[in-house]
Amino acid sequence: MTPTKSIDGQDLREMFAAAASWLEKSSADIDALNVFPVPDGDTGTNMLLTMRSTVEESQLAADHSVSSVAKAMSKGALVGARGNSGVILSQIFSGLSQAVDGKDAITGKELADALAKASTVAYAGLSNPVEGTILTVIREASEAAQAHAATVSDDIVSIVEATVNAAKESVAKTPTLLPVLMEAGVVDAGGQGLYTILEGVLHYLKGEMEQLKLRRPWMVASSIPLTAKAPQMVGAEEVPYGYCTNFVIKGEGLNPDKLRKRLEKRGQSVIVVGDDSAVRVHIHTLDPGDVVSYVVPLGTLHQINIRNMDEQYRDFIEMQKERMPAVEVAIVAVVVGEGLANVFTSLGATFIVPGGQTMNPSTKDLLQAVEAVVSEKVIILPNNKNIVLTANQVQSLTKKTIEVVPTTTIPQGVAALLAFDYEADMETNAQNMNKAKAAVKSVEVTRAVRSTSLGGLDIKKKQAIGFLNGDLVAVGDKPDAVVQDVLARLNLDEVEVITIYYGDDTTSAEAEEVGDALDKQHSQLQVEVVQGGQPYYNYIVSVE
Amino acid sequence: MTVKIVTDSLGDIPSDVAQELGITIIPLTVHFGEEVYRDGVDLTTEQFYQKLLKSKALPTTQIASLGVFVQTYDKLAEESDEILVIANSQKMSASHEAMVEAVGKMKRPCRVEVIDSQWTVMAQGLIVIAAAKAAKKGAGIDELAALTEKNISRADVRMAFETLNYLEEGGRIGKARAFLGSRLKVTPILGIREGETFPFSREHSRARAIDHLYYFATSFSHIDEMAVEHATTPKEADALAKRLKSQFPKTHIYRTMVSPVIGAHVGPRVLGVAVLGDRG
Repeated sequence: MTPTKSIDGQDLREMFAAAASWLEKSSADIDALNVFPVPDGDTGTNMLLTMRSTVEESQLAADHSVSSVAKAMSKGALVGARGNSGVILSQIFSGLSQAVDGKDAITGKELADALAKASTVAYAGLSNPVEGTILTVIREASEAAQAHAATVSDDIVSIVEATVNAAKESVAKTPTLLPVLMEAGVVDAGGQGLYTILEGVLHYLKGEMEQLKLRRPWMVASSIPLTAKAPQMVGAEEVPYGYCTNFVIKGEGLNPDKLRKRLEKRGQSVIVVGDDSAVRVHIHTLDPGDVVSYVVPLGTLHQINIRNMDEQYRDFIEMQKERMPAVEVAIVAVVVGEGLANVFTSLGATFIVPGGQTMNPSTKDLLQAVEAVVSEKVIILPNNKNIVLTANQVQSLTKKTIEVVPTTTIPQGVAALLAFDYEADMETNAQNMNKAKAAVKSVEVTRAVRSTSLGGLDIKKKQAIGFLNGDLVAVGDKPDAVVQDVLARLNLDEVEVITIYYGDDTTSAEAEEVGDALDKQHSQLQVEVVQGGQPYYNYIVSVE
Repeated sequence: MTVKIVTDSLGDIPSDVAQELGITIIPLTVHFGEEVYRDGVDLTTEQFYQKLLKSKALPTTQIASLGVFVQTYDKLAEESDEILVIANSQKMSASHEAMVEAVGKMKRPCRVEVIDSQWTVMAQGLIVIAAAKAAKKGAGIDELAALTEKNISRADVRMAFETLNYLEEGGRIGKARAFLGSRLKVTPILGIREGETFPFSREHSRARAIDHLYYFATSFSHIDEMAVEHATTPKEADALAKRLKSQFPKTHIYRTMVSPVIGAHVGPRVLGVAVLGDRG
């Protein structure tokens, strides 16, 4: 391929026109990424409308120089911007336009520098820039563009390729920077939108017209896997979000910085951008009337758009349901220890009630959990023999339909959870889970709280004691040795999987040693060592 | 005149079977950076997985260009005036879209029916094979279209996955996203519902996952066609096929490998069973 050394205004116009149609194909998917209470209802749609206005205005440029086209695009973006991400996008175009002012055409290096300027201007538009959003994506993408232009190649296609790759990586890690994204297991919608736009530009520069037409942009996968499940999100308390309020003020001697400060007292997610003759405002407020009355004396208002975010939230919840398998049945599990709770959540438990051997939850605790989940049908996994009866009480206190799968250990609970079938009804699931729990053996090792003699064993206080399926079978000074002692009572040659959950007073090195020893003795075994973080129990081991 | 049967390479039909039954397969393409390979034509599954191990970036995949579809149709139209095209699930690839669009660009007059199989891998493949067999026996296009529509509801597939990363990276995770993020090492068993990837089960060991595939197949009371396919584990596939053969001695079991394009989305060590038949 011949290197592309420069682009003119016509190229600029067409590459962003291509980007707009590329974005159009995934705007609905991007809408689906929104996470409340992160502001902005329909990010994909908002960015698309912003892009359309940008592209339309680019046709009205005075000439075909990069400078004029970029200026027109910047103007189009400002007046057409919608929503949070749209406004930030308009800042990106404003930065691009400032950087290429006066130029007929630009080189790859100049394009990279213009992206860097775009990043700076985008950050400047916000009083409180948040990382893990479109801002991070434009910054990291522009840094990659500059690095590539400086050290690798001045070919514009290869620079944009590097930019797109960096944008994709940046989007994938947005959940590590923004906790709400992590909880929802999604990437930032605005970041995804920007990545899609840059990818559209790249397709155009590569001359891939057929791809633009027949393929669809792919959604970047979150680098952090999803743990929270949709039904839980639906159950979240309803907080009023108020109104997403957008408008443009046209006038003379406007002061965007001063206006931003004043508006910050009147709402959240305030973005104010523009110059002394036109300013775009985006604000989330419980009282849009108050905001509008405040700005009316400053000039004339245009493109006023006020949307009810509570309504958007309900639509959003409906949309989220589509993305997951329809789960009519929720699972409430009693678990103690952060690691174990994560294991249960990651395998699909809807609600975790903290509790275990020394901390039995009350019927009321379980009832609250049952009432908190959205589903009308709930399976309870008590995971301890002292909690099974409590769990059985819940049915008489709720209108919901309850099935208790009487798991008495953590390994039984995990086995039951794994047997959950998304296609089956509650009864079938309860049957399958009962069957699965019966197939697993549980080993637990803890410290004796007092000296005693039990089951023919003399036990001194603080000695390690080992249980097999709830029966005391071994005693010793070291928990590691006791685990091995108990396991030695089983025919491990017929076992396929051993999972070792180590407690909060056991180190991972100690646990790994136990695991390695098993691995060496029995080659057919799949041994997994997992941090359970449970108190009191040094080891909980599942044998299947 | 025999109705011509066309499909895309996502159905994983072995080339000798395609040749014998007169099935035209339009290959998708796999891209490793600048290198482009036609699915199953320029690159075998074994070669693909060798390249995958060496490649830093994940390969990407594309459907053939529109021109290829149009040319294929026009060429077949010289021999027949009816073509039945059975596409990969349109929720998973743009193949169906291109197959429909290409009909309007044909130069030769010919009746072309395009059907969305709503399946992929050998579940799609078995539907195509059944249509090709009926076409060979002289069925007309309307009859074939009706048969295919009926078979779409009779097909099913389960696949045991080593990892879901490839599916997720490639944007084909569908509802199986519910299985992402497991803190335990499990073998997910996925299938397809309404044209998208669907999570069925998680097994705690590979052996149990293979049992799951076996019981999936034996849950059918009547089986027309069956296939066992794998990516990188031929011995496991052979063993599973042998077990199934003893249960279904009269059924021919197609032994296939996932195509390179499918491989780019499922990753290594995938093992699956596809069935065209009836339950209960």
